[in-house]
Amino acid sequence: MKRIVLLFVAVATLSSLSAQVRIGKKGQLAGSFETNMIYYVDDSKVGETPEDQFGSHSFLKLDYTLGRFSVGVQGNAFLPVLQGYDDLGVGDTKFFLSKYIQWADKNYEILLGDVYDQFGSGLIFRTFEDRQLGINNSLEGGRVIGRLGKYAQLKALGGRQRLNTKYSDTWVMGADLSLSLADMFKMDETLLSLEGSFVNRMEKLDQDPMLDEYLAGLGQEKSVQLYSGRANFAWKGLSLSAEYAAKGEDMANSAAVAPEKGNAFLGEVGYSHGGFSFMGTFRQLEHMGTHISVYNMGINNTMNYLPALTRQYTYMLANLNPYQVNVEGEIGGQADVNYTIRSRENRYRYWNFHANYSTYYTLNPSQSATGARQRLWQDFNFDVERQWNKKWKTIFLYSFQEWNPYHGYEHRTYVSNIFVADVTYKINRKHSLRFEGQYLLSDEYEGDWAAALLEYNWAPHWSVFFSNMYNIDDMPANEGQAKYYYNGGLSYTYKRTRAQVSFGRNRAGYVCSGGVCRYSPAYTGVNFVLTTSF
Amino acid sequence: MKKLLSLVVLLAAVMTASAQQLPDVKVENAQGKVVSMRSVAPGKPMIISYWSTSCKPCIQELNAINDAIEDWREEADFVVVAVSVDDARLKATAKAMAAARGWDFICLFDENQDLKRAMNVSLTPQSFVVDSNGKIVYSHSGYTPGSEEELFDEILKLKKK
Repeated sequence: MKRIVLLFVAVATLSSLSAQVRIGKKGQLAGSFETNMIYYVDDSKVGETPEDQFGSHSFLKLDYTLGRFSVGVQGNAFLPVLQGYDDLGVGDTKFFLSKYIQWADKNYEILLGDVYDQFGSGLIFRTFEDRQLGINNSLEGGRVIGRLGKYAQLKALGGRQRLNTKYSDTWVMGADLSLSLADMFKMDETLLSLEGSFVNRMEKLDQDPMLDEYLAGLGQEKSVQLYSGRANFAWKGLSLSAEYAAKGEDMANSAAVAPEKGNAFLGEVGYSHGGFSFMGTFRQLEHMGTHISVYNMGINNTMNYLPALTRQYTYMLANLNPYQVNVEGEIGGQADVNYTIRSRENRYRYWNFHANYSTYYTLNPSQSATGARQRLWQDFNFDVERQWNKKWKTIFLYSFQEWNPYHGYEHRTYVSNIFVADVTYKINRKHSLRFEGQYLLSDEYEGDWAAALLEYNWAPHWSVFFSNMYNIDDMPANEGQAKYYYNGGLSYTYKRTRAQVSFGRNRAGYVCSGGVCRYSPAYTGVNFVLTTSF
Repeated sequence: MKKLLSLVVLLAAVMTASAQQLPDVKVENAQGKVVSMRSVAPGKPMIISYWSTSCKPCIQELNAINDAIEDWREEADFVVVAVSVDDARLKATAKAMAAARGWDFICLFDENQDLKRAMNVSLTPQSFVVDSNGKIVYSHSGYTPGSEEELFDEILKLKKK
């Protein structure tokens, strides 16, 4: 607690400075602070409350820049770890400090410390941070980037990857080359590039005598190689890109039956003209899940990035059962169509139409009991946004979702139809109201749900909201579970500082951000979130 | 830990306030080419607004700016830069959306959030006002309908200087 108070004092002092701070003649210091705290309240409807009833995740980041030189640190404090972040150690108090020092010249860059980078779309390598999910798999080591004008770029990196709140003993080395053919042939209006990457992951198999012998018996190697090749083309409104990745034999995890070779293909096509745009994606994955350490589990234990390529919703009921990628084997794609009509006389009047479809199937016969290809997911959705005038705006969303609760092993899917109406009324320049009404219609799983949200905004500082979700039907799947999930809160923003306090009952389920989902158990409690930068 | 924090407090207390320079990080433009942030609109005041396809208030803010932009442009010369922080999952969706919406902005794509990290953005939406010399003069996080006016007020202040 003392630490938290101290942290607050530090932040208050920093944020009281109206702008950034300068040291010496040219150097400058900038940074940010974020804290998420939860006080868990006893609620017999959602199960047991954690013993010490409190958890918090805080992040303090400081960067000092002097011309082309920069240096920085980031401290993470888990006081203690929040419920649901199982990888980090439930209820444990943990700290982690990451750091970097960098020289960024026009044609070359050198960085020592924690590296965040990705090759292509991340099929073989991505290090990144997502605080909401508790993910940070930065590579502690170094990176060198060399550029030959606009024509070519070569990147090389190496080090050991962070795994939860420690650095692992897994050594990763990689290189990435990109060539801009369009620039070589002076095609200024065109994008045409060829790219290729290579990654080697090395982990000594000497950490657990019993498991070591088992892994060696199955033929797991300490070194695994991954490759990818990419081509990108864009001209006017048209864009095409393709990426192929291959991976040497590797165990998906220590519970896997045998090491498997992996491969992936990702193709994307886009076209836009005027107020119209189309985007289509196709992807096939086979045994591409790549851990940092075979001795570990959890969402942080991932070296590459294989997101679910589906629409990500912002509405509660449309997010109840999100699709999760099947890295073992999956084939499918999605398409998006957008169309906007705007009044010529009045910019404040327009229609936005958007439709999206995605579907995914199992890839290998071994994934289903019968050996037949099974549908894993299907979602057809469309939304219409209408700005009527300066005061009124409405959005209507319909989504048809079909998902397989057995990840394709059995031929069984659940279907839900979701309807959302979202209305914003701007009372005057400063005051506005927003209302969401939602309904999920289903004969299966948890049956019907209804939800509503009311938000009142007083620009630019205040916002207050209340929402409630209600599970209408009594089904075997929701037996013994709470019926109501309410949430209410207040936020205050002053320039770069934002504080929000809310109280509510949260349903157990997957919290998704980007393409990764973390399972969060149900809880009732008070949340406090503070973010600031300086 | 205590020592580290005291050091931070001390550092902050002795330093004088001044404007931060826009970091020169590489990002992707709408065509897919890599560009450096400082070369996007040299010599012009900018509103930089961070967004992602799953951030509703961000899109609200960009729409509000786009609705008012013609009126604002009658009073000041500036550009709006919309930075999408969507990763591999939604970058293509973000590009399609930005293209169809008819946003009168320079759209940039910060797929692995290098620029976001360099500008210390922990929460979207966050918007910045940058003067014609590349100095960050104002920033706010979060969006409530009407708060886009603050950004324009800052642009007008720059004009008066």
